[in-house]
Amino acid sequence: MTAESTDEPAGTLPTHDRIQSALKPVTDPELDRSIVELGYVDEIRVEAGGNGAHVRVAFTLPTAWCSPAFAWMMAVDARDAVEALPSVDDCTIELREHMHETEVNHGVNEGLSFAEAFPDAEDGVTDVRSTLDEKAVLSRQYAAVESLLDAGLDLEQVAHLERSDLNRDAAADRIAIDVPGGAFAVVTSTADIDRYLEKARSLDYFAESDRLFRTPEGEPIAPADAELVHRRARLAQVNMDGQGGVCDALHQARQSGASD
Amino acid sequence: MYRTTDSDRYDGEDDIFVIDSHIHFWDASEENIVHEGGEEFIRCFYDYHTGFTPTEREWTLEEYRKYSRERMLTDFFENGSVDMGIFQPTHLHEFYEEGFNTVDDNAAVAAEHPERFITNGRFDPREGEAGLRELERQKEEYDIDGVKLYTAEWRSDSKGWRLDSEEAFRYLDKCAELGIKNIHPHKGPTIRPLNRDAFDVADVDDAASSFPELNFIVEHVGLPRLDDFCWIAAQEPNVYGGLAVAAPMAQNRPRKFGEIMGELLYWLGEDRILFGSDYALWNPDWLVDCVMNAEFTEEQRDEYGVELSTDVMRKIMGENAARLYDIDIEEKKAQFRDDAITEEFGLEAHYTDETPSAAD
Repeated sequence: MTAESTDEPAGTLPTHDRIQSALKPVTDPELDRSIVELGYVDEIRVEAGGNGAHVRVAFTLPTAWCSPAFAWMMAVDARDAVEALPSVDDCTIELREHMHETEVNHGVNEGLSFAEAFPDAEDGVTDVRSTLDEKAVLSRQYAAVESLLDAGLDLEQVAHLERSDLNRDAAADRIAIDVPGGAFAVVTSTADIDRYLEKARSLDYFAESDRLFRTPEGEPIAPADAELVHRRARLAQVNMDGQGGVCDALHQARQSGASD
Repeated sequence: MYRTTDSDRYDGEDDIFVIDSHIHFWDASEENIVHEGGEEFIRCFYDYHTGFTPTEREWTLEEYRKYSRERMLTDFFENGSVDMGIFQPTHLHEFYEEGFNTVDDNAAVAAEHPERFITNGRFDPREGEAGLRELERQKEEYDIDGVKLYTAEWRSDSKGWRLDSEEAFRYLDKCAELGIKNIHPHKGPTIRPLNRDAFDVADVDDAASSFPELNFIVEHVGLPRLDDFCWIAAQEPNVYGGLAVAAPMAQNRPRKFGEIMGELLYWLGEDRILFGSDYALWNPDWLVDCVMNAEFTEEQRDEYGVELSTDVMRKIMGENAARLYDIDIEEKKAQFRDDAITEEFGLEAHYTDETPSAAD
């Protein structure tokens, strides 16, 4: 348990970078941004074990008062992301300087449910998570639709798009689009569409319909509502971005305070 | 008054009457703290303070825990940035022995300068009959026109309450009956209680449509639920947005501030947004100037099709609050020509009739 990673033969232990990239898809659910990019991860330690590496991930949130439910989600997601690596045996999470660090760390590391870790909590985290996931996907929809508008489509055409209308040209990193009505367009900056698709797929958006985008209520977009839906998606994006500004300022204030 | 001569942007326009619609007089001294939550609470506030305050204007944590009336008056009136302030109480008795920022403490400050301050009350529907009597007392004693509500406040085992509950409706009925028409629910960052989001804005929707005679000023414009808030406000004409917490983003997150203002103007319009500093979270003596000088980027102007014009700013900084609280701005300006505050801080020039010349 105490062996240092440098003492082990190369190849048996994941590198610090490997852990970091495994953590990258873990998001702050309120901001829909990577906890790695947000600078929450303070420390990653890798130690050798009989059945694979023991990894310890320490992280700090912008304030001690950040929602315990959000802290819980990030801790669980981080643990699961690291433990999914074949070379890792287990991952221990250490949330630091939080009102509920004891409950979160104990609960996550012992594999408890949120309700078990927080006996006085009134419900699980499932509903909170799904509300935030819906906001995140709507916010990503805004960016994806904007790139389609930039490619020359209009909002009504966008509303009708199905996933099968997107033809990816992987080599050229672009997406050709069969626009409903017979026209043709090309999106050369695909990152925002990819980001949207990734989140939409993870939420099983296309289980029943291949329609690319939805209203915030999860319905197909009626042409007459296309503009309103897009404005609401913009609002979701501004909200997440604005809150990101708040958290970022708090994070910086806390970091500079800690070093005083 | 915000002096329009302070900025090229407002050149030639009349000065702007500023009502700070969200101020506090609090005590988070160590002697007053009875629960670790009280210490965490003030430290969290302090992080917000330092996160959005220009470095040279930062307070120390010790100053921040408890400040004097004199300091408060100076922060408000010394440079004339604010003409009037509205106290929004936050009791938090579970955390603070004597309460954090109580109606009575606020009212004591207001009593010295009644022409400059408005005291709001508060209620908590979990207090039952006694709470209703207390609300009556606040009306009788301080003639309150508004209440600040803190739906995430702890009370024994309960970690919060909802504005659309049966108990809350009894209190809103009482407000309507007593003529307390301005309801200010705090809807800010998600903190406690645990998973349940007691600052979720959804409960405002039902309350606002059930009480069309009351105004619901959602403090902190629902951040981080600006989206839910705007969508509700777009449908409920008696829902307003208080800019506390959003305003200081003008200082170090101007692009994001612009986006938030763009959304608010798009969904609510210029008549339903109220400036508030959240003092002592932030000082109006720099914040007012900062907000008055905020501008949209070219891109934001195109996107939202709105402007932060002088007329729009005049409404946000004062006229909208004046309308809700029946303040006659012209009458106030006449009264402030020679009130005690004007004499103490030498503000006579702010309230003279003539528009100052550009040479001032």
